[in-house]
Amino acid sequence: MSTRVLTEFDLLLPASLEEALDMLERERSAVTVLSGGTDLLVAMKAGFKTAKAMSLAHLRNLDFLAYDSGSGLRMGPRTTIAQIVDSADVKQHYPALWQAAKIFATPQLRNTATVVGNLLRGSPAGDCSAAVSALGGTLVMASAQGRREVHVDNLWVSYGVTARADNEMAVELRIPAPTKGTVSAFRRLTRVNEDLAKLNVAACLQLDGSTCTGARLAMGCVAPTMIRLPSAEAVLTGATINDDTLALAAEAVQQDISPIDDQRSTAEYRRAVAGVYLKRTVQQACGIA
Amino acid sequence: MGELKTVGKSIERVDIRAKVCGTAVYAADIKFPGMLHGKVVRCYEHAHARVKRLDLSAAAKVPGVIKVLGPKDVTTKKYNQSVIDLMASKTEGQMLGDIEEQSIFTEHVKFYGDGIAGIIAISEEVAERAAQLVKVEYEPLPVYLTPEESGAPDAVQFTPEKPGNRAFQLPEAMFPGNALGWGDVDKAFEEADLVIEDTFYTPKQKQCQMEPNSYVALFDDEGRLNCWTSGQMPKLVHEKLSRLFELPMSRVKINQTVVGGGFGARLGMVLEPEVCAMALAVPGKPVKIQQPREEDWLTSPSRHPSRYWMKIGFKKDGTPVAIDAKSVNFKGGYYLDGSALASTTGFWLQGMYKFQNLRYKGESYFTNQPVCGAFRGYGNPQTNFVLEQMIERACVELNLDPLQWRRKWHKETGDLSWLNATPYTSCALNECLDRGAAAIGWEEKRKKYANQTGTKRRGIGVAVGNHTSGAFPMILEHTTCTVHLNEDASATVLVACSDLGQGSHTTLRQIAAETLGWPIEDVRLETGDSDANGFDIGAHASRTLYVGGAAVMKACQDARGQLLDRAARILKVNRDELDMDNKTIYVEGSPERSVSARDICRVGIYNFVDHATGLPEGEMGQIQAYVSYKPEQNSPPFFATFVELEVDLETGEVELLELVSSHDIGKAIHPAICEGQMEGGAQQGLGMALTEETYFNEKGFATNNSFTDYKMLGASDMPRMTSILVENGDPYGPFGAKSVGEAGVVTPVGATANAIFQATGIQFTQGPITPEKILRAIRERGQTYV
Ligand SMILES: Cc1cc2nc3c(=O)[nH]c(=O)nc-3n(C[C@H](O)[C@H](O)[C@H](O)COP(=O)(O)OP(=O)(O)OC[C@H]3O[C@@H](n4cnc5c(N)ncnc54)[C@H](O)[C@@H]3O)c2cc1C
Repeated sequence: MSTRVLTEFDLLLPASLEEALDMLERERSAVTVLSGGTDLLVAMKAGFKTAKAMSLAHLRNLDFLAYDSGSGLRMGPRTTIAQIVDSADVKQHYPALWQAAKIFATPQLRNTATVVGNLLRGSPAGDCSAAVSALGGTLVMASAQGRREVHVDNLWVSYGVTARADNEMAVELRIPAPTKGTVSAFRRLTRVNEDLAKLNVAACLQLDGSTCTGARLAMGCVAPTMIRLPSAEAVLTGATINDDTLALAAEAVQQDISPIDDQRSTAEYRRAVAGVYLKRTVQQACGIA
Repeated sequence: MGELKTVGKSIERVDIRAKVCGTAVYAADIKFPGMLHGKVVRCYEHAHARVKRLDLSAAAKVPGVIKVLGPKDVTTKKYNQSVIDLMASKTEGQMLGDIEEQSIFTEHVKFYGDGIAGIIAISEEVAERAAQLVKVEYEPLPVYLTPEESGAPDAVQFTPEKPGNRAFQLPEAMFPGNALGWGDVDKAFEEADLVIEDTFYTPKQKQCQMEPNSYVALFDDEGRLNCWTSGQMPKLVHEKLSRLFELPMSRVKINQTVVGGGFGARLGMVLEPEVCAMALAVPGKPVKIQQPREEDWLTSPSRHPSRYWMKIGFKKDGTPVAIDAKSVNFKGGYYLDGSALASTTGFWLQGMYKFQNLRYKGESYFTNQPVCGAFRGYGNPQTNFVLEQMIERACVELNLDPLQWRRKWHKETGDLSWLNATPYTSCALNECLDRGAAAIGWEEKRKKYANQTGTKRRGIGVAVGNHTSGAFPMILEHTTCTVHLNEDASATVLVACSDLGQGSHTTLRQIAAETLGWPIEDVRLETGDSDANGFDIGAHASRTLYVGGAAVMKACQDARGQLLDRAARILKVNRDELDMDNKTIYVEGSPERSVSARDICRVGIYNFVDHATGLPEGEMGQIQAYVSYKPEQNSPPFFATFVELEVDLETGEVELLELVSSHDIGKAIHPAICEGQMEGGAQQGLGMALTEETYFNEKGFATNNSFTDYKMLGASDMPRMTSILVENGDPYGPFGAKSVGEAGVVTPVGATANAIFQATGIQFTQGPITPEKILRAIRERGQTYV
């Protein structure tokens, strides 16, 4: 049951990254990072308690978004979903991420919510999380002790839990540059258009003609975290993309997922549509109608 | 009457600037100096329990808490938060079995979120913190989520007045055999060529009005209880509060704030009893209660979920010989309008088609769920979901065209209407069907979609319905209206009719302006003040324009008549020789013989003596008119909806493509408002068919009482919509108008289900028709009707 009244907390407003990292070093798990707040504040109204919230609002230059054909895409922790939607580079080179951002929530939310926040919420339903997972992104974590890189494959530990240490904050997200033959796509199923996913899928394939030489497939809402689909990836890798291989991949998905019943859908339904949605997403990535 | 100047035009709505600019004052906006904040402590541990011990001491000690209130610290008088019971006579109420069994704070928790205590504090924060310190010891009771469970012989009784937890059954004394209808159904089935039957479920849909609930009350220094509320029935709430707190009505004042949507959720009281009880505990201090959406879900009534069984019989040629039906409603924890809903659900059934024999039984059982009550359509969408699907199935079985069947067998002008008491005054349903069918391309699409292959299948469905214009002759109808003409010949119209956002203050003003013959700027409506306004039932039963509008029209006709009478005396002609253009009254045919309405009005008020003659300068007295109006007719609107959609057979997803609704509304006083009602109704009707349901876990806790998990269709989910207004004029409605307020929600429900039927070949009996249900049915074809 949510309330109209947030429980009391101290709002920390660091003015520089150094100060922010110092605060984290000192406060550790007593502080929660507040970026767009579209997950955090909702959780706080529904009973999540934190003694301190550290807002990133006063930190400058953290909303960058830059693409380089060699090093790929870089974005900051304050880069919003709306910025992604507005980026011609993302649209062209990272269709999966752009498509995930495009259908994300509502204009108000897109103006506030961040991609990095989506990843660090650790929800199995995160739309950008699915896309970044398929695209093979890497988060740069910073602490007063230094920096380290966390690949998206190692980010999600369990439901809502990430590999972030309690003195760390994410300062950058990197996504490798596509090469010739890289294609990607994102799709999701919701109850109504403006909703959290009941199932989402992102696919990033390396194509050599119609042969798939590499596949990263991510699916959400079918396990406690966003997951890769190793069985389906194995089917597609080295195979020609056609109806038969897609049917095999769709079947293989069943081994990768462990959906449950929840408020948004049922395990039965998710199992029934997972393969269909994987197939359609791969087709979309490959430009097959 | 000549050409209409205001009526029939989509003028700027009178409320729209304030709403769009954010200056409209809703209850939540009200702040008073020294205002305190109330919080109702609710039970979220159980859906059914007895409070064994309530310890408010820790809460009382929180700094800033002014008072804590247990069940015995407020009036222990029982009440019924609905107001429908006020609309039937005492004898009728007794026959129907209406009861008052609610307490301000309960010791028998009957649903998740039932209120058990109150806290008054200097701020919402403090009240909230104190509420968390309330210690309660409960005796858990078994949780009943269905009529079968609560109706079991050994079930805990909700109230001794309703043995077996049956809140309502059509009473024998009024409905022999506890049924309504006519003929001999059982015999008729024996003679029918086709008999089909099925049991349906209709969901617990929530109104989701935009404005969350907020209430302010003050027991003032004069000993008056003041309440600021966005209720849609202010005058009946006035009466209810006066009864509950045993204060004369002169010591209760209702100030209706701007209402941010009602749809029935505010038909009656929501938190008025709680906020007033708190105000009475701290005389001289205003108290405000503001609820988050989640709480609104639990405390304001929803649509009744129902299990609805139906059996219908036909001759081979489609002649409808018999219909037998029973709806069993899930009442929730309290009685409220227990008698009315289960009855009207059957009224809509008997009002629609010319079945030769009909029997309907309606019952309601208490369940451990938040209360149910009025919701736009009041049983009609439920009946539409069931009846229109059954008709569709019969048409398929008999190989009849579903549109032609409906054209042929619907009730007509002169046939007995939904109460089976008075005749339909007008009916243009065939025109609705024809124009709707043409607009959506019914013939062609229906044929085209009959044979499809592939994973995406389209379907087109139709449903028809009719509703009501006011509650006559079933229950009380009454609106009073007073008009006074000001010294400059502008008019103030006092009427208590509510504008919940449906636009009635605009349309009532249009009617007043048209009747008086003046521009709309010269007419002002005074509403929402229980001291200034006379009686009006409030906004329900699609009555405001039909009844309230007629009252306004009659009062304005009277005022205009008085003005013309004075002019006739001045011009020395008969009144019927006069006409008025803007503010000039003239003799027809000789416009030079004229007098100004302003002069007449002014001299009536500033009635000086002419020094030359020693006589008054003109006729004395401010012109005032008054009616206490009770309609003697009801002019139900008829309507048809066509829905076209596409079902993804691999995922069960439904994409809405197009919706066409055509309404036989008699006359559109304000066409854009009518279309708005139809479109808004469609949004709720489509939602009821496809997505909207309040879910409960096994403990009886609501699991989706918020917009996070209760899904209404948003703008991007809506199909392309066309609203067709069929305006043939009703002989009784003001300017020929019939209602449009509730009607829009009804037929999209049946039409959607029927479109899914055409697309998939499967009928869905359990609402809402979610992709999960569709996909399962596709996979298990044969489980449901194919
Ligand atoms: C109405 C509504 C609609 C929504 N629709 C969608 C949708 O369509 N799809 C979807 O995927 N999600 C949706 N969401 C969820 C939410 O908006 C997203 O997850 C969003 O991306 C979160 O970003 P944020 O910046 O608001 O995160 P915040 O709420 O600020 O943070 C989320 C979590 O990440 C942590 N965090 C954030 N930034 C950092 C950082 N730099 N370093 C370390 N930790 C950090 C926070 O501590 C917190 O635990 C919706 C939410 C709402 C309220």
